[in-house]
Amino acid sequence: MNDDIFQRHSAFRFHGSWLEFARIAFPNLLLTIVTLGIYRFWATTREREYLWSKTEFIDERLEWTGKGIELFIGFIMAFLLIGLPLIVIQLISQGLIFRGETILAAVITLMMFLLLFYLTGVAYFRALRYRLSRTYWRGIRGGSDDPGFQYGLAYMWKSMVGWLPIFLLVPWSMISLWNDRWNAMSFGPHRFSATAEWKPLMKRYLLFYLVPFLLFIGAVVFGISMAASGGTPDALGGTGMAVGAIFAIIGVLSFYLFLPLAALAYYSKYFRLAVGGLRLHNLEFDFRARAPDWILFFLANIAIIVCTLGIGYIFMPYRNWKFFVDHMEAYGEINVDELTQSETVVAKHGEGLLDAFDVGAI
Amino acid sequence: MSTFFDAWHYDGKSAVRRKVEVQIIGTQFYLLETERRHGPFAFSDVEYVTHKVDADVYGLKATDGWRLMLSGPVPADLNAMLPARRNYGGWVDRLGFGKAAVAFTLASAAAVAIVLLSPQWLAPLIPDSVDEKLGDALVGDFGGRFCSTPAGDAAMKKLVASLDANPDDLQVEVAKIDMINAVALPGGNVILFDGLVKQARSPDEVAGVLAHEIGHVREKHVMQALLRQMGLAVVLGGIDGNSGALVNNMLSMSYSRESEAEADAHSMKALGGANISPIGTASFFDRLSEMDGSASSSTSDNGIAGYMSSHPLSRSRKDAFEKSIVKGKNYKPALTPTEWTELKTMCTQDRKAKSGFGFDFN
Repeated sequence: MNDDIFQRHSAFRFHGSWLEFARIAFPNLLLTIVTLGIYRFWATTREREYLWSKTEFIDERLEWTGKGIELFIGFIMAFLLIGLPLIVIQLISQGLIFRGETILAAVITLMMFLLLFYLTGVAYFRALRYRLSRTYWRGIRGGSDDPGFQYGLAYMWKSMVGWLPIFLLVPWSMISLWNDRWNAMSFGPHRFSATAEWKPLMKRYLLFYLVPFLLFIGAVVFGISMAASGGTPDALGGTGMAVGAIFAIIGVLSFYLFLPLAALAYYSKYFRLAVGGLRLHNLEFDFRARAPDWILFFLANIAIIVCTLGIGYIFMPYRNWKFFVDHMEAYGEINVDELTQSETVVAKHGEGLLDAFDVGAI
Repeated sequence: MSTFFDAWHYDGKSAVRRKVEVQIIGTQFYLLETERRHGPFAFSDVEYVTHKVDADVYGLKATDGWRLMLSGPVPADLNAMLPARRNYGGWVDRLGFGKAAVAFTLASAAAVAIVLLSPQWLAPLIPDSVDEKLGDALVGDFGGRFCSTPAGDAAMKKLVASLDANPDDLQVEVAKIDMINAVALPGGNVILFDGLVKQARSPDEVAGVLAHEIGHVREKHVMQALLRQMGLAVVLGGIDGNSGALVNNMLSMSYSRESEAEADAHSMKALGGANISPIGTASFFDRLSEMDGSASSSTSDNGIAGYMSSHPLSRSRKDAFEKSIVKGKNYKPALTPTEWTELKTMCTQDRKAKSGFGFDFN
């Protein structure tokens, strides 16, 4: 296939409309409520079916073939294998504290924490694997033969290394884990190659990291200059106090404003680098959203949720997916004759672990 | 019989899109390309996959990625052979949205009702041996915190015997913990904290609290609460995170209020039977109400605060105990002055008992 098509518009295009999505999301919400939440697995599946079918890659729509029952079984498994043992362990450690075996209780609690930490890593991996294995394009799907148990270990030690030097290596651990995850994935006969670099991320990370210190220094400098320009707030009387209070409020606000902004600026760069380092055979990927796009996106999300008194929350899957697809780019070419079926195994259950830990994928 | 109809086809082996004609022969069909014939395929193996753009997409059982995409008006004879479209998922589609929503609502309400009401009948069915084992596992020797002196133990034994007809299956202990509290645990274990005994002004006060905890044991409240919590955790497990926990707490809280009232009633009855004046217990709650602040509000407007807390407000409990006083009745003290002193100083005398919890510093 020749790809002059790429010059005209992105290889990825989204054709959905929020009105159509509303016709899926509202009945989903109702059914989820009346089933005490059990329907949400089928709800998620219906939403993905819609979003995938409205996503065009080059000249064909994507297909989501996951089933609600798979998510449900995954959830039940996570509950039986992790939830119940956790409750029992908690009871035991409470009993141990009662009996004065505090050290043993602490050891058990630590073990429990480590196990959860490990399983969170495995969960991230398996959620990505599940999603790729249920995503079809022209009858071809993705997947991975790796069960993700090794990745769980990598997740543990790389996160630890990221945190150890006062959290300064977090960008390294994030990028490195992204690469580990995607290098284990494939689509059709081709393996993904993920070679994102972490060093270009450091400047943004330091910005985020230093925001609290910069604000603090700013406040100190301001205080000194106030003092130097004559008079403590006391000497200025009531007006001085009022001015001081206003500046204090601005200080607090800017802390709550600048920190999320800096975090978004960092995440925007992270995602751009991470996707930019991805390759699938002769295809290269790119994510074009920059920091202002992310900030506008999040402000709009907050506005939608607040203005609808929270109901707008049900549109978040739609908005997230649209934002993702709208900014995805692919370059290169695909030979459809060579793009043969994936031979990876297909797990019969999805995302249970991830669902249990309540974390997002990708 | 043979019908031809234009369609698109992916064979699931490669990503090549094929324009085919569907040729129906009985319950089977072929897909004809210009120079190739695919099939035969059985209609019974065809599954509905999804709808995209203007086409219905069908798959084939056990052939990964096989797709048949039909758009435009499908001939009646072909349509009759194809599986039905899926919208919400199996059950909902079969019942219709409205009926399914009503059915789910009823089923959910029934599930919650069973979980809330059944512990009352189930708890007595649980064998005492299970109850005892659970109690032993949970309490043990309480980390060596139980106080014991010959005279103190005798005083406690006398107190328990006066309040309960079967004192042998109760294990009442005083723990060297400086908190004004008492707990009933599985297996007939009742633990009075030393802080409560020390601040009591008369043995009658301790008798009232002890009779209350014995009430919890006799009414099987501990096992009921345990079963109810477990049931709610399972039923509300589908609702994620905070909202589930909130609902869970609200429901179990309203039941524990009921249990507290029952235990109070049991206490008043036991005090009456033992000829111990309830005035001591009333004055104990009076002092507690000064601590929890319910004394400051008038009795009429403590509705909300009283409903949200698991223990009825001390103020209203004081009133109830005061009302249970029978005028002219010849009450006698629960213990003799010597016995009372022995019980009160038991933990001070017993130097072997460990104090506090393992994790505090005294």
